[in-house]
Amino acid sequence: MGLFTKFVYLLGVRKKEVNVLVVGLNNSGKSTVVNHFKNEEERVSEIVPTVGFSVERFQNQNLAFTAFDMSGHGRYRDLWEHYYKDCHGIIFVVDSSDRLRLVVVKEELDLLLQHPDICNRKLPILFFANKMDCKDALSSVKIAAGLGLDKIMDKPWHIAASNALTGEGLQEGVEWLTQQIRDVILSKN
Amino acid sequence: MCAHQCYQRLSSNTLKFATLPNNACINLCDLNISRWLEAHSDRSAGLTTFARNVILADVSGDGDYKLVLTDVRIQTDKRSRLKVYKGTLLTSDQVLPDVPSSVISFYTDDLEPRVPAVAVACSSDLLIFKNNKPFYKFCVPPGPLTPLEEECWKLFAEPNYDTQKLITDLKSVNFNQLSGRSQELLNLQPNQAQEYIQRYVGITPIKTSPIVCMSTLNRSSQDALAVACPVLGTEDGIIYVLDPQIFTVLHQANVCNVKSTPTIIKTTGMYDVEFRIVVACRENSICVLRRGWLEGKPVVQLNEDIIDLLLIPGDNFIIIGTTSKMLHCYTKRGQRVWSAATVNAITCLCLVPLKHLSTHLIAVGLKGGSVHLYHGRQTVDYTNSPDTPSAMVFGQLGQEEHVMVIITMGGTINFKILKRTADFNLSNQDKLSVPTLQSKPLPLPKRSKLFIEQSMRERQDPMQMHQSFQQDLVNLRLTAARALVQNLTEQSGAGNAEEQVKLSAQILGLGPKFTLILTLENMNGDKAVSNFSVVFHAKPTIYKLSSYLSTVPLIPPGLSYKLETKVTEVLKSGEEQLPGQAIRVFVIRKGQAHPVLAATINMPPTEITTLLFIFSQKFKSACEKMRAFSKRPPDSDILEVYSFYKQATLGDINIPKPSDIQGRAKWEAWNGKKGLAADLAKQKYIEKVQGLSGTYA
Ligand SMILES: Nc1nc2c(ncn2[C@@H]2O[C@H](COP(=O)(O)OP(=O)(O)OP(=O)(O)O)[C@@H](O)[C@H]2O)c(=O)[nH]1
Ligand SMILES: [Mg+2]
Repeated sequence: MGLFTKFVYLLGVRKKEVNVLVVGLNNSGKSTVVNHFKNEEERVSEIVPTVGFSVERFQNQNLAFTAFDMSGHGRYRDLWEHYYKDCHGIIFVVDSSDRLRLVVVKEELDLLLQHPDICNRKLPILFFANKMDCKDALSSVKIAAGLGLDKIMDKPWHIAASNALTGEGLQEGVEWLTQQIRDVILSKN
Repeated sequence: MCAHQCYQRLSSNTLKFATLPNNACINLCDLNISRWLEAHSDRSAGLTTFARNVILADVSGDGDYKLVLTDVRIQTDKRSRLKVYKGTLLTSDQVLPDVPSSVISFYTDDLEPRVPAVAVACSSDLLIFKNNKPFYKFCVPPGPLTPLEEECWKLFAEPNYDTQKLITDLKSVNFNQLSGRSQELLNLQPNQAQEYIQRYVGITPIKTSPIVCMSTLNRSSQDALAVACPVLGTEDGIIYVLDPQIFTVLHQANVCNVKSTPTIIKTTGMYDVEFRIVVACRENSICVLRRGWLEGKPVVQLNEDIIDLLLIPGDNFIIIGTTSKMLHCYTKRGQRVWSAATVNAITCLCLVPLKHLSTHLIAVGLKGGSVHLYHGRQTVDYTNSPDTPSAMVFGQLGQEEHVMVIITMGGTINFKILKRTADFNLSNQDKLSVPTLQSKPLPLPKRSKLFIEQSMRERQDPMQMHQSFQQDLVNLRLTAARALVQNLTEQSGAGNAEEQVKLSAQILGLGPKFTLILTLENMNGDKAVSNFSVVFHAKPTIYKLSSYLSTVPLIPPGLSYKLETKVTEVLKSGEEQLPGQAIRVFVIRKGQAHPVLAATINMPPTEITTLLFIFSQKFKSACEKMRAFSKRPPDSDILEVYSFYKQATLGDINIPKPSDIQGRAKWEAWNGKKGLAADLAKQKYIEKVQGLSGTYA
C-alpha cells in the first residue's frame, strides 16, 4: 500500500469492507444485536430464530461491516467454521441469564479457539454479555471468569454487558471492535 | 460372549473388576474425555424423589422448558412439595396434600399459547395444575365395599354395639379390600377407636383406591406437543384413561385377569387410533392393554423384582431393569431379545432419545453413583453422578435440548449437558456387533406378500397389465414434459445440474422503483459452494441498478443466499420502448469465463411506460390516418397539422427560413410552435387529426 492510501486510511476517508462473524448459542440475542446496528429504516420489528445464517450490512466509523449472523441452534453450529477463514473479527453473544448453558458456551468457545482457521490468527473477539436486564443475569466479570477468557493470550478480546433490546452497551463494544480491526488492517499494510 | 476383562474406574475411586462384552470394554477404555458437560450440581438441594416423579415440561408455554419434580416427605409432620426449577434455579415450591406417587405433564387442548398441564397423583386424587396454579381435581371412582364392612359400619350407628367384636369382624376381611377409614381404624390403639368411630358414625365409608402409577397417551397425533390423555393405574389393578379436557373416564380396564397391582405404566400409539399400554406389576409380570380391551394380557413373567421399565419408541421394545442387576429386552409380544448384566445394582432407568443420531440410548442409574448408557445391549458411555441416582430425566431444559437431570439418594440435584459433538461411536459399533443367529423361519413380510400377489395377477392377465402400465407411463412422460415446458416458459427458476445451484428471482414493487430479490440455492447434499459472483446486465437507457456486480458468500449445503438489488426504471419520453424489458443475470465463478448460470428476468411493465407506449402508438396511428385521408383538407389545416408534427418529432425549429412561398408558410407555421413540449405537440396533433378525420377521411 502506498503512502498516500495509508494516509487515506489513517484519516478514515475511504471505506473498507470488513467481515464479522456473529456467533453464540441460540436465543442469545445475536440477531437482535445485529438488527440494532442497522440503519433505523432497515431494522425489522420482529426477530425470529435464524435458520442457517443471514447476512446483514451496517457501517461504523467508515468501516462497512458485513455481518454473518449465524444460527446458534445445535444442528447449525457446524456451519460456523465455514466462515472463520474470511472474517476479520468475531462477535460472540452470550445470554448472561442462561446459567445452565454457560458450560455449553465455554465448550463452543473452546472449539472455536482451537479451530485451525482461528488458532494462529490475531483475530479480535468481542463478547457481549447480553440480556443484562434479566433478573438473574450474571455480571460480565462472572461470565469472563466462567468462560476462562483470561486464558486467551494471543487475541485481543473485550467483554461488554449489553441489552440488545434497548441497545445499551452495544455501541461501546462495536467501537472497540472497529478500532481493533482498523489496527490490524493498518499493521498488515 | 467373549469375556474380556477390564479395569474400570468407578466413582467410588476404588478399582473394581468388571466383566463386560468385548466392544463395551473398548468403548469404556478410550473414554478419556467425557461426552457430558457438568452444568451444575447442588448438594444442598436436599431433595427426596423417586423415578417417574421428575419431568421436563414447558409449563409456562414460552419455550423455556422447566424441571418439575416432587419432593417427597413420608414423615407426618412434614409435607411433600411440588417444585419447579427454571434452569438451575428453584422458582416455585408448593405444598401437596399427600405423598405423591407420580407426576406427568400433558397438553389438554390445541389452544394457543400451548401450555401443558402438570398432574400429580396424591393418594386417590389426581391434582391438575396449569400455569403453576391448581386447575382441577380428579378423584378415582370408588370401588364396592365388602358386605361385611358395610354391615359393620351400619352396626356402629346402633346405640349399643360391641366395638371389640365389630373390630374383630373387620379384621377378618382382607386388609386390602377395606376402605381407607376401616384400615385406619384397625391401625389405631384400642383406646382411640371409640372416639374415631364416633366421628364417622352414620356415614357409609367410601372405598377408594390410591393411584400408584401414571403415564400419558397421545390422543390423535404423534406430535411432541400433541394433546394427550392421562393414564392412571390404581392399587386395585384398574387402569383409567382420562379425557384430557373434561377429565372423565374414557376407558377403564383391569390390568390382568388375576389380581395384579400396577407399578409402572408406559404407553405408545394414539388413543383414537391404536395404542398399547404396557404395565409392570408388583407380581413381577408385564401386561399389555390395547384399544378396546377390558383386560390386559400378561406377556412376560419374571422371577426377579422389576425396578424400572422403558418402552423404546419405534420398535416398541420393552426394557426392564431388575433387582438382580440385569437389564432385559423383550419384544412387544413378550419374546426376549437380549439380557445384559450390569456392574452394580440398578436404581433407575431413563430413555435418552438422540434425534440427530436417530437412535435411543438407555441410561441406567447404578448404585454407588454411576450412570451407564446402553445402545441395545452394548455399553457405549458412562458418566458419574454425585452418589446413587434415585431419578433421572433426559430432554429439553431451558433452551438446551440434551440435558440430563439426576437426583440422587443423598438429595443432590445434578445437571449434565450432552456435548453436541458426542456421537458415541455408534457408526463403528454397528460394524463391531455380530448379528445374532436366526433359528426360526422369518414370517413373510406384508410387502413381499403384496409383491407375490401382484406377480401372480400379472401372470394371469399379462396383456391388460401391459396396457395399463404403458398408459400410465405415457401419462407420466406427458406430465414431465408439461412441467418442463412450463418451467422453461416461466423462467422463474433456473438451475445448473452439474453445480447443483438453483437461481430464482422475485420482483417486488410496481415501478418505477423495483426491488429484485435473487435467491441462490445450494442444492448439494454435502458440498458448500463458494467464489460465486452475480453480474447483472440491463439496458442502461431503461434500467438503473444499485449494483451490477455482487459477490456471494460461501453457501453451506442445503441453504440459500438472498441478494437484494434495487432497480430503477429510467424514464425518457418520446422513446418508443416496449413496456417491460428484460434484465439478464449471470452467476459466475471466480476465474472462470463461462457463467455457471444465466437467466433472463422479465421486468413487469410500469404504468408510466405503458401509458407512454400507448400514447406513442396513438400518435403513429394518427400519422397513418392523416396520410390516408381521401379528401384534401384546406391548406390552413394542413399547415397546422404539419407544424404540430414537426414540433412533436424534431422539436423547436432548426432550419433557416426558405425563400419560396410554400416553404416560408411551412417555416412560419413550425416557428409558431416554438417552445411547445413534444408530448403536448403530439397530443395536439392527435386531436387535430381526430377533428379533421370526420370530414376528410
Ligand atoms: N430481556 C432481553 N431479551 C433479549 C435481549 N436480547 C435479545 N433478547 C430476546 O431474546 C430472544 C432471542 O433473540 P434472537 O436475536 O432471535 O437470538 P439469536 O441469538 O439470533 O437466536 P438464533 O438465531 O436462534 O441463534 C428474542 O426474543 C429477543 O427479544 C436482551 O438484551 N434482553
Ligand atoms: Mg438469530
